[in-house]
Amino acid sequence: MPMKIQKTGSDTQLVVERIHHAKNYKLTLDCRLCVGCELCSLICPREAISVAKQPKKDGQKTQHPIIDVDEVKCHYCGICTAICPYGALHVTIDGNNIASVIEKESFPQLIREITVDATKCPTDCTECEEICPLDLIKVTSDPKTNKVTIEIKEEQCPTCRKCEIKCPEGLIRIRKIFTGKLTIRQEKCPTNCQDCLDVCPITDTLYLSEKDGKVYVNEIFCTYCGACKIVCPEEQALELSRSTIHHTPVRSGAWNKALEKLTSTTEMTKELRGKGRKKTMEAVKKRLEPRAK
Amino acid sequence: MVDEQPRVGVFVCHCGLNIAGVIDVKAVIEYARTLPDVVFTKDNRYTCADPGQDEIRKAIKEHRLNRVVVAACSPRMHEPTFRKTCAEADLNPFFFEMANIREFSSWCHPNTPKEATEKAKEIVRMAVAKARLLQPLKEIEVPVTNKALVIGGGIAGINSALDLAEMGFRVYLLEKTESIGGHMAQLDKTFPTLDCSICIEGPKMVDVGRHPNIDIISYADLVSVSGYVGNFKVKIRKNPRYVIHEDCTGCGECKEVCPIEYPNEWDMNMGVRKAISIPFEQAVPLVYTLNMDHCIECYKCIDACGARQAINFDQEPEEIELDVGAIIVATGFDIYLPYDDPLYGYGKYDNVITALEFERLILAAGPTGGKVIRASDGEKPHTVAFIQCVGSRNLKKFEYCSGFCCMYALKNAILLKEKYKRDVEVYVLYMDMRTPFKGYEEFYKRARDLGVTFIRGRASHIIEDPDKNNLVIRAEDMTLGQPIELPAEMVVLCTAAVPRSDAGEMARILNISRGTDGFFMESHPKLKPIDTPVDGVFVAGSCQAPKDIPYSVSQGSGAAARAATILSKKKWKIEPIVAEVNADLCKNTQAKCGICAQRCPYGSIEALEKQPAKVITAMCHGCGTCVAECPSDAITQNHFTDEQIFAQIASALEENPEGKILGFLCNWCCYAGADLAGTSRFEYPPLIRPVRVMCSGRVDKDFVLEAFRKGAGMVLIGACHLPYDCHYISGNARMKARMDVLAPMLEKLGLSPQRFKVEYVSAAEGLKFAELMKEMAAQLQELGPDKVKAENAKLKPILDRMLAKKTQKKPPQIIQKA
Ligand SMILES: Cc1cc2nc3c(=O)[nH]c(=O)nc-3n(C[C@H](O)[C@H](O)[C@H](O)COP(=O)(O)OP(=O)(O)OC[C@H]3O[C@@H](n4cnc5c(N)ncnc54)[C@H](O)[C@@H]3O)c2cc1C
Ligand code: SF4
Ligand code: SF4
Repeated sequence: MPMKIQKTGSDTQLVVERIHHAKNYKLTLDCRLCVGCELCSLICPREAISVAKQPKKDGQKTQHPIIDVDEVKCHYCGICTAICPYGALHVTIDGNNIASVIEKESFPQLIREITVDATKCPTDCTECEEICPLDLIKVTSDPKTNKVTIEIKEEQCPTCRKCEIKCPEGLIRIRKIFTGKLTIRQEKCPTNCQDCLDVCPITDTLYLSEKDGKVYVNEIFCTYCGACKIVCPEEQALELSRSTIHHTPVRSGAWNKALEKLTSTTEMTKELRGKGRKKTMEAVKKRLEPRAK
Repeated sequence: MVDEQPRVGVFVCHCGLNIAGVIDVKAVIEYARTLPDVVFTKDNRYTCADPGQDEIRKAIKEHRLNRVVVAACSPRMHEPTFRKTCAEADLNPFFFEMANIREFSSWCHPNTPKEATEKAKEIVRMAVAKARLLQPLKEIEVPVTNKALVIGGGIAGINSALDLAEMGFRVYLLEKTESIGGHMAQLDKTFPTLDCSICIEGPKMVDVGRHPNIDIISYADLVSVSGYVGNFKVKIRKNPRYVIHEDCTGCGECKEVCPIEYPNEWDMNMGVRKAISIPFEQAVPLVYTLNMDHCIECYKCIDACGARQAINFDQEPEEIELDVGAIIVATGFDIYLPYDDPLYGYGKYDNVITALEFERLILAAGPTGGKVIRASDGEKPHTVAFIQCVGSRNLKKFEYCSGFCCMYALKNAILLKEKYKRDVEVYVLYMDMRTPFKGYEEFYKRARDLGVTFIRGRASHIIEDPDKNNLVIRAEDMTLGQPIELPAEMVVLCTAAVPRSDAGEMARILNISRGTDGFFMESHPKLKPIDTPVDGVFVAGSCQAPKDIPYSVSQGSGAAARAATILSKKKWKIEPIVAEVNADLCKNTQAKCGICAQRCPYGSIEALEKQPAKVITAMCHGCGTCVAECPSDAITQNHFTDEQIFAQIASALEENPEGKILGFLCNWCCYAGADLAGTSRFEYPPLIRPVRVMCSGRVDKDFVLEAFRKGAGMVLIGACHLPYDCHYISGNARMKARMDVLAPMLEKLGLSPQRFKVEYVSAAEGLKFAELMKEMAAQLQELGPDKVKAENAKLKPILDRMLAKKTQKKPPQIIQKA
C-alpha cells in the first residue's frame, strides 16, 4: 500500500496518522484533557502544532484555545507528549505507546514530585479529591482496616499544589514542574474583561477583585502553562515567564532549543552552565549567531 | 589557387525503388542537365553504397567537378557520408550539397508520381542554385579534454563509468540521490534467471566506488553545461549531507541513537529510515546523510560519532566546476503511480499496490522482511492478480509500451508460486504477453508450467469488499468474449515507466531534445541510437525509453565506446558553419550597437566599445541568429549565406510561385519532423519547397519579404517548440520576436494572414507536419491563385524598394578553390 497520511477528529479526540504498508504512526490529542495552552506548539520542532483562539460568543464564557496538528508536518517524535503537563498527547507506533525522543534520551521527561503520606489520613477526609480542579485524585478507605489509599493520575497532573495547600494534615508535598512569574497589569486590562480567568484550568489561580472588577493572580497555584496568555486581548496586560523546568537530566540540543523557547535564552544558558556543558554551549552560541545578526 | 567557374555534377539516386518507384529518375537527370553550370549527371541504384561513391570520386577527377549535388535522401542521414566522399577526391567537402527527394518527395507523394517528379526536379534545381555559390571551408580543430561526465548512477551509468575508467579515462559519475544503484538496487530478483538483483549489482557498485579513475559525485545536481564537444564546462551543486565524506566510516552508530524516523522514499515509503541514515545497506558511497527536514538537532548523533567528528551541522551547498570532453546521460525513468485513475482504486484500497512496491515486499531486506502480506490485515494473500499495462499502451495516458512489465510480472508470479506453492493462486490479466529476446519465452513457459493463470483482457473496474478488504476485478475476457469477475486478495498494478520528472530541465541544460513521450531523443532511431543531436552528448539506458537491465547495460557500454571515440583524440574537428563579422560593415565602430552580442544564445560574440563585433569561433554553435539580427547585414554564416539562401528562394519560385509554399525549416525539429512524415509515409499535397537552415533563428525578415516579392503563395517558418526545444537554446524565441513584428506589417500591406505562418513542429511530430501541409494546401486553394497574384502585385513595388539594397548587391562572386 502506498503511504497514507490522514487526520480524523471528533469532539473528544484528534488523531493524525502515517500509515505504511506494515507500520503505523499515530498521534492522539485527547480534547478532554487539553486545556489549550501554548506549550506543545512552542516547541514542536516541525511547527506542526498550532493554537487558535475560539471566537467569543456573546454572553458566554471565553472558551479555551484549540490545538490543531498538521498531519503532513508531524513526524511522530513525541516531543509534545513529553512536554504536556496535562498528559493530553500520545504517540503510538504500531499501537505501542512510544515517545522515541524519550527512549533515545533526546528529550527529558517532566518530573512531578508528588509525595503523599496516606498512612496518617483520617478515614473520612476527601478534601484533596474534592479540591483537585482536574479530578485526578481518588481517595478510598478500606472499611475493615481503615486503611486509606490515595490514587493520583500523575501523568495528567500539572502540579498546581491545590491539594497540598488544602490538606488539613499537611500530608501532601508537591514540587512544581514549572516555576516562573505571571503578572497582570490591571491598568491595561479592558473593562469587564476576564478572558484569562475564563480559560485558566486551575481554579483560584486567577480571581476577580470585588474592588475594581479586575483579574488578579494568586501565583501559588499557577502552573505557567500559558493558556491565559493566548486569549489575552491586550498586548501588555498579561506577562508570563518561566524560569525553571523540573525534568530528568538529558544532554540534547533539541532540549536546549525547547528550553530556550519555553523560558528564555538567559535561563537556558544558566541551566547549561550549571551542567558545565562547554561544547554544547559553543554549539548553541554558534547557532544563535546568525539570528543575532 | 585558381579562380574557377562552377562545374556542377548532379547524381540522382534510385534508392532501390524507394525513389525510383515513384519518381521518374531519368526525367530528373534530363532536367538537371539543363541547369546552369551543370556539366555532369549520373543516376545510381544506391549512391551511398561503395560503387555509387566510387562514381562520384571518379567523376570529380575525370570531369574536373568542383561542386557535387546528390539528389537522394535527407541530408540529416547522408550529408556526412558524401562530404567524406568529396574529400577523398580532394574536393573541399563544403562544395557538396544534398537534394532531399526521398523524405520530401517520393515517400510522401507515392500516389502522385507526376507531381512528385516535378517537385524532385525543383528540389534539385534549388540545390544546384545553392551549390553554385558554395565556398570552401576549413574544418575547425579544437583540443579535447579527455575526461567524461556520466549523469545518473543506475545500472546503465555504472557500466558507462566502469568501461570508460577501464579504458583509462577519468570519469565523474554524477548521482542525484545519496547512492548509486538506481532502480535495480530496489528489485528483488531479476528475470529471466532469478538471480538476486543487489547481489549482482552490489559488486559493480563497489567496483565503481573503488576505481581510481572514477569520482562519484552523489547527492548533487547538475546546474549548467556550457561549451561544446571535447570542451564542456559543467557546474554541479553538491548538496550538504551534514556528514563529512572523508571522515564517515559508515559504522552506523549515529543511526542507532537517532530518535527520528521518516518515510524511506527508496523503499517506496513502505518503510522508514532514521533522520541520519543511509537509504539501504549496500549504498555506495557508504556515507551517512542527515536529513535536516526531519532532524530535531538533539545532537545525539554527534555524541555517538565521537572522536571521528564526521558530523558537521554547518555544511553548506558547494558548487564545483568540471571540465569534460564528453557527457553520457543515464538518468533512467520514474514509475507511474496511478492515483489519478479511479479505475484501480490505488491509494484508496489498501490491498492494491504497484509492482515496484511488490518488489519491496517480496525482498528479504524489505520493510516486511520478505513476507508478502496485505496492508489491511497483515495476512498473506491467497490470490494475487497482476494487471498489465496500467497507464502504458493507453492513448489517454502513455501511448507507448513500457517494455519490461510483462517480464517482471512473470518474474513476480513465478516467485510467488515458488515461495508459497499451492497456497497461492496467481492471475495475470494482460493485453499481449511480450516476451522477445533470449530466454524470455522460456520464462513465460515456466510461469505457465507452475500454474499461473493467464487471462487476456483489460480490467474495467476494481471494487473492494469493505469488510474483508478483498477485491473483485471486473474485466472483459477477450478469449471467451465475455465479461468476467475475478476475486483477488491482493492486486498488483504493473504501471508504466515514465520519463523522470526533471527530464525537461535536464534536456534544457544539455540542449538535447525529447520525444512526444517525454524521453530523451536519440539522433537516429536506428543508426545513432546512443547519440544525441549535440555532439559529445550521449544517452544510455532507460532515460531514452524503457529498457530492461541487459539492454541498459549494453547501452551503457555502447555509450562509453561512443564517448571514447572523442576522448581518445587529442583534437576534435567541428563544423565550420560558424558566423563571421565583416568588420568594415559593422556599425559598432561608430555607434553603440552590440545587438548581435546580446542576441547570441551562447554569448560567443564580443562587441567592445568602438570596435567591430567579433565572433569567438570555438564557442559559436552556428545557429545564425546573429546574422538575421544584425541591422547592418554585417554578419554572414558560412554555408548558409544570404546569397545562397536568396538563390534557393529564387530557384524555388521560378515557376508557378503562387501555387507554392516556401518553407524555412530548422534542421533539428521541423525539418526532422518533415523527414519523419516521409519515413512514416504520411501523404500530403506536394506544395512545399524546403530551405533547410540550422536554426529558425537564422531566418531573416528579408527571406520572407524576398519570397513574397518573388510571388510565393505561402511562406512557412518551421521551428522547434517554445520555450525549451530549440537546439540553440533560444534561436526560436528570437525568430518569433522578429516575426511577431513582421506579420502585422505584412497584413497591413494587404497580405492575407494565412499566407505567412510560423509553426512549431518537433522531430517526433511527423503526423503534425503532414496535417499542417494538408491544412495549408487547403487554405491556399481556398484563397485561389488570382487573389494571391493580386496581393503580390500590390506588394511588389514596396518589397522591391525594401529589398533594393540586398538584391542589387555585387555580381555573382567568382569563388576561389581552397
Ligand atoms: C517493478 C520493476 C521490476 C523490474 N524487474 C526487472 C528485472 O527483473 N530484470 C530486468 O532486466 N529489468 C527489470 N526492471 C527494469 C530495470 O529497473 C531497468 O532496466 C533499469 O533500472 C534501467 O537502468 P537505468 O540505469 O537506465 O535507470 P535507473 O535504474 O532509473 O537509474 C537512473 C539513475 O540516475 C539517477 N538520476 C536520475 N535523474 C538524475 C539527475 N537529474 N541527475 C543525476 N542523476 C540522476 C537516478 O537517481 C538513478 O540512480 C524492472 C523495473 C521495474 C519497475
Ligand atoms: S541531531 Fe538529528 S540526526 Fe542527529 S540524532 Fe538527533 S534527530 Fe537524529
Ligand atoms: S548567434 Fe549563433 S551563429 Fe551567431 S555567433 Fe552566436 S552561436 Fe554563432
